[in-house]
Amino acid sequence: MLRKASLVSLCLTLVVIAGCAEPPTQQIQDAEKALKDAQESGAATYNADEYAKLEGTLAALRKEVADQDEKFTLFRDYGKAQQLSASAKADSERIKAASVEKKEEAKAAALQAQQVAEEAVKATQDLVAKAPVGKDRAAVEAIKNDVEGLKSLLKQVQASIDKEDYPAAQTQAKAIHDMSQGVSVEIQNALAKVGKGKPTKKK
Amino acid sequence: MALDQIHKTLAAVICILCFLMGCVQAVPPDLLVALEAIDQDLIALRAPEAAPEEYGQFVRQWVSLKARVQLDDDLITWPWESSDLENELRRLYIMGERTVSQLHERQTSQHRTVQAKVARLEERLHTITSKVESIDGRILLGEKAVQTDLLVKQARSFFEQKDFQRAMQAAEKADYAFKAQALLLSQELGRYADESRIAYWQTLAKQTIDWSRIHQSTAIVVSKAERELTLYKSGRKVLSYPVRLGFNGMLEKRFQGDGATPEGRYRVTDKRGQGQTQFYRALALDYPNAEDRRRFDLAKKSGRIAPAKGIGSLIEIHGADNELLAQTLGCIMLDNPNMAVLYEGVSVGTPVTIVGALTKENTVALALSELVQRRDEI
Repeated sequence: MLRKASLVSLCLTLVVIAGCAEPPTQQIQDAEKALKDAQESGAATYNADEYAKLEGTLAALRKEVADQDEKFTLFRDYGKAQQLSASAKADSERIKAASVEKKEEAKAAALQAQQVAEEAVKATQDLVAKAPVGKDRAAVEAIKNDVEGLKSLLKQVQASIDKEDYPAAQTQAKAIHDMSQGVSVEIQNALAKVGKGKPTKKK
Repeated sequence: MALDQIHKTLAAVICILCFLMGCVQAVPPDLLVALEAIDQDLIALRAPEAAPEEYGQFVRQWVSLKARVQLDDDLITWPWESSDLENELRRLYIMGERTVSQLHERQTSQHRTVQAKVARLEERLHTITSKVESIDGRILLGEKAVQTDLLVKQARSFFEQKDFQRAMQAAEKADYAFKAQALLLSQELGRYADESRIAYWQTLAKQTIDWSRIHQSTAIVVSKAERELTLYKSGRKVLSYPVRLGFNGMLEKRFQGDGATPEGRYRVTDKRGQGQTQFYRALALDYPNAEDRRRFDLAKKSGRIAPAKGIGSLIEIHGADNELLAQTLGCIMLDNPNMAVLYEGVSVGTPVTIVGALTKENTVALALSELVQRRDEI
């Protein structure tokens, strides 16, 4: 009788233990949310290799959970899944922080390049303002046209920054800066050819 | 004693077995190191950005297997037992090696393609810029020229950063911008390649020369495309001089300040000698004439010219106030020695016919043809 009671209690204990082997749903959800946060922070762009590994970890986690789910209830063990969830969450947070930092660095570089380009275009505009207004203005008319073009291009840099496409903004700003300097040299050469402004002439 | 011996032997066997089992690891460490190296190679090849699918496929398996290696480190295997994990890692290693090799090949090929494309774009930008300059098309293109320049520079910049995908995107945009430039120039200056228009200009010039012969008088014909002024006396060509035109000279004059040099039949209305002009010597023309006014009014009515715009005036053939200037505001400018000769040979009332071009193979038509050809080549 005593033996039977022991057996029943052992079975009950096993059932209770088996019943406790539930997948770590909350931890998995937390890990997935952390991955999404990392992705939204620009990890796929600014930390592409780490982000890909993170996606790999999540895939491994899902596979581990699926493998355990397939097992008979009594043999399920979600310990590894828990470990993977915790590691994925921690990695996601680390990668998110690193991506935010890299993104900020890229933004700062783009903003600095934008400022340099704006200053170069402004300097070119100032030079154009000194250009003749009389018949000699013919010499700088085409250059003025280019300066207007450069001013318009600065809007593209801002558009790229607004879209958070900092690498594009940086290359655009750098190109505008170079072009402005080229135009400035052209204006200086043209101004060297013409004297001071002469009376305006209708044409 | 015998029992003791048996015990000792059994203990030794157990120890050896334990030792063997303890030494056998599920995965050889050098395999893990080799896979780590493959991962680093892929990162160095920018696989995460350049080939996200291939890298994703590799890394998902790599991370998953690495996790299993870490999680299964308590697994005991017999030395003769094959390890599924090791087999999978070996398969991944082979796949990884293949991916590295493919990416390397692809990247080398991309590098070559983009390098050639960017170099071709730069060469075309250079050629097109000089062609556009030669036909006074720079202002005509407006912002398109700097826009194209920017795209070419961006393509170069991305190429140098080894971002081939973006470099190619910028190059494609630059291609499109080149095509748009060529199209705009063809639309605006296509009349220089239009046979019927050239025939019309030839007729105008011929009538002027005929007039000179019939009236035993002088007449001037200016061809804008060739930038040439020819003086006829009694229908015979007596001299030809190079001229400089307006900063937008190849266009047909539409309104004041557009920098275009007008086309049509004019007459010298006044001769301005020393002290009467700032341009050494000047021959004033009767621009705008009745035909110019009719065209201007029509364009204004149809909205092609803004209401506030004026038709302009004071178009002259004159000398150079500044010899270094390459362009005028719309007048026809000669070097002073040439102007002196012309001034002496021309009287008030002399007909001056200004045409776009006199031959089909004029410089503008040739430049346009080359631009269109290059547009198609890109």
